[in-house]
Amino acid sequence: MALRELSSLEKCLGLKKPNKYSTQGERKVPVLQNNNGPAVVGLVTIASSLVRDAKKTELLGNTAEQRAVVQQWLEYRVTRLDSCTKDEVKVILKELNHYLEDKVYLAGNSFTLADVLMYYGIHYIIMELAVQEKEKYLNVTRWFDHIQHYPGVRHHLPPVVVLRNRVYPSGQH
Amino acid sequence: MKLFVSEGNPHCVKALAALELSGLKCDVQLVNHEERVVPFLNRPVIPVLLLPSGQHLFSANAICQLLLEMAGKSTDESKQLLEWEATELQPALLQALHKQALQGKSSEAAAVLKGPLGWLDQYLSKRTTSFLTEEILADIVLGAALYPVLSDPAFEVGDLPSLQAWFNHVRELPACQSAAQKVLNGKGLEALKGFLQKQPVPHLQRRDSPPS
Repeated sequence: MALRELSSLEKCLGLKKPNKYSTQGERKVPVLQNNNGPAVVGLVTIASSLVRDAKKTELLGNTAEQRAVVQQWLEYRVTRLDSCTKDEVKVILKELNHYLEDKVYLAGNSFTLADVLMYYGIHYIIMELAVQEKEKYLNVTRWFDHIQHYPGVRHHLPPVVVLRNRVYPSGQH
Repeated sequence: MKLFVSEGNPHCVKALAALELSGLKCDVQLVNHEERVVPFLNRPVIPVLLLPSGQHLFSANAICQLLLEMAGKSTDESKQLLEWEATELQPALLQALHKQALQGKSSEAAAVLKGPLGWLDQYLSKRTTSFLTEEILADIVLGAALYPVLSDPAFEVGDLPSLQAWFNHVRELPACQSAAQKVLNGKGLEALKGFLQKQPVPHLQRRDSPPS
């Protein structure tokens, strides 16, 4: 899964030459062999290095503060989201929904790598949500819809239908 | 900026050591394990750095990165080791600490840590300097994370010469020493019990990967 996501990220970043990846260990951690240096290991580390290759470092954050926020949500993606059990899915949706209440993107007002990787990682969860649940996690769904329509992001993933008008009156979940 | 820390939590050793190394001024508030400092997180998470913008940083590794970056230190080379720490080492470490400190099962704790510690020992054996990278970030994060394990003879970690030599260098850093003293009070594993009891029971088995 991580490999498809990295190849979509390459396209999203406009990198012309696709890299070849391998995986290691039980968790199938992605590895990028480099001709002129040691291997790059781990989804976040490889994704960040692709961003630097594409000279789009603004996607890692423009200030030290923003870089730390981006790093934090990337870490959340590979620790909390990627290892969550079925019961924890709801907790994650609740946390993100609360966090995104007053934000357009994960790092505030600008689109970053954190949005892309969170979108790739959470896609299968949002796909399975019933309309009613999508309304319950309204801020997550709004953010998700925004990211899936962000130019060049979606690639290998099918679009998820998000209704922009509420079907169920609020307070009746 | 304001840093929230609690006693007996190894992640707070990371944050306090980074704060001292950065030389920055920052309020430090001691809270208990149950305190929910971050409004949007479902369970209490410490340490937390409250930024002037009102944002909460709840990842100890991101806090360390920010503090050292603000002090003008580079952090890029450390990122790969930080990802390894968060995704590979932490799940094993939390499970081992549970087994050792709460259940007294030392051989099981050692078995859980064998893989990650062996890997780190190998990694260090290939280094020509005493530290993990040219930067200090990875040393602080991994050193603090492993502090309870490597400073306590109760853990049977086996013969890992490069790892032990590295850890002895890191624990002697004044910033690391004072942070560990503040958080763990020289009480070793005993100090961690309160923190561990509040952590979700660690599981190493993962849900099957979604179809790709």
